[in-house]
Amino acid sequence: MNQAVLEVTGLNIFYGQFQAVKDVSFSVYAGEIFGLLGPNGAGKTSSLSAVEGLLKPASGSIHVGGYDNAKNPLNARANMGVQLQATSFQSELTVSEIVNLYAGIYGVSLTNENLRDILTSIKLQNDGRKRFGELSGGQQQRVSLVIAMIHQPPLVLLDEPTSGLDPQSRRQLWERMEILREKGHGILLTTHSMEEAEAICDRIAIIDHGQIVTTDVPANLIEKNRNRPEVIRASRRGKITLEDVFIGLTGQEIRS
Amino acid sequence: MTSITLPSNKVVMRSLLRADFTTQWRNRKSFILILIVPVIILLSWKGLVDKFGGAFVLSNCITVGLTAIGLMGYSNSVARDREKGIFQRLRVAPVAPSSIMVSRLCVQLAMILLMTTAVFIGGSYFDQITLTPMGYLLGYFTAFVGGAVYLGLGQMVVGLIKNAETVHSTSRLIYFIFIMVGMFGELGVLGKQIGDLVKYSPYGTVKHILASSFQPGTWDKSSTIALLLTIGYATIFSVLGIRWFRWNAAK
Repeated sequence: MNQAVLEVTGLNIFYGQFQAVKDVSFSVYAGEIFGLLGPNGAGKTSSLSAVEGLLKPASGSIHVGGYDNAKNPLNARANMGVQLQATSFQSELTVSEIVNLYAGIYGVSLTNENLRDILTSIKLQNDGRKRFGELSGGQQQRVSLVIAMIHQPPLVLLDEPTSGLDPQSRRQLWERMEILREKGHGILLTTHSMEEAEAICDRIAIIDHGQIVTTDVPANLIEKNRNRPEVIRASRRGKITLEDVFIGLTGQEIRS
Repeated sequence: MTSITLPSNKVVMRSLLRADFTTQWRNRKSFILILIVPVIILLSWKGLVDKFGGAFVLSNCITVGLTAIGLMGYSNSVARDREKGIFQRLRVAPVAPSSIMVSRLCVQLAMILLMTTAVFIGGSYFDQITLTPMGYLLGYFTAFVGGAVYLGLGQMVVGLIKNAETVHSTSRLIYFIFIMVGMFGELGVLGKQIGDLVKYSPYGTVKHILASSFQPGTWDKSSTIALLLTIGYATIFSVLGIRWFRWNAAK
């Protein structure tokens, strides 16, 4: 097993009296794509926010690249790259200015050639002077991913990165994630797409009602649960898929 | 994969400042709108220079400009960027929250400097109001002190209200009340009681210290009281604004 780039241990998160995350523990290793799946309100965004340092957990520990998130938050953040669910850069700035801003923040010195290479890698070599607000959704997602990777962090957090993308852009993003994995980055991915999770994740954790229900490789998850009555009931095409297992384990009801 | 070391504060700050100043430059139309009101007052009050003095006219114009920068410029830009998630994106990077805010405040201080200079130039050009070098120097200093009151007030507005649209309309309303009650109260149009209240309001105290600093020889005990009150307002507004402020617009 490779070195852990993220270690979450005994995480508990409360919103007032409501406990959103209950004793969650998992690790993400270098060179793997780890999927965190769960219905709306299951606790995945809260867990991710705690890892990102946006939310203070009531208890538990988070280590990123060996740094304790509570004791060395800036070091922990320097060792992760984040793509948030909503693309969130200053719409008045150009693509080049945004790349330069985050390069500076992460302490990466960029020459004009480096910048050109980065923009070429996301097929925006002719759009460096375009304002971020003028880009399409897919182009914004690519900028967001390149910013998350600008400092080559050991851990990359991708929060529903393919939502709203067309199939071509989604496939392209999967390929980028696979390249990152090959380079040894650990990726924590949240997604609602079971197809995506099954296609690219090495391991998956299913979280529901704030607790991790199961963690395994996708094929094992299907194999282990294929004979459960609730999974068979969820099956629509005769063949058991990851989505059937997910529905079977987390229930049919719609969450808010 | 090797662990990454933290960049220096200087590098981070330089990047933030460059981005914030560029954003402000791209939004320069809104700053021009902020500048228009004090300049219009400067032009329309030309006739009052002889009656009330140049310091009175200049101090009112700058106070109106400071109110606009704090309430219309600062609060709206913070509310808008918070709603867009720009702060959250910065906060997941290795940036201290204080650096994000210091960079924002630096932009506003530059705006105060520009607005005050524009009013000084306009006052000299259109109304032939000139001050001594010390008057100009102290004028800039008190403009920054007075600006802190309205930046604090703007911070309080974004601390209390999360929705950017509501921040926008609320800050406009407060701005309108401040300048209307402040200016007309100062002129005695709203009666003695309101006039006395205005004297000790954030509008009145800022206007008072500005007017006194333009003519350092006129600085007296009431100017010192106004300065202390101004610092008090700035402190209270800032402390409450920071305490109530949430980086995320979502509940």
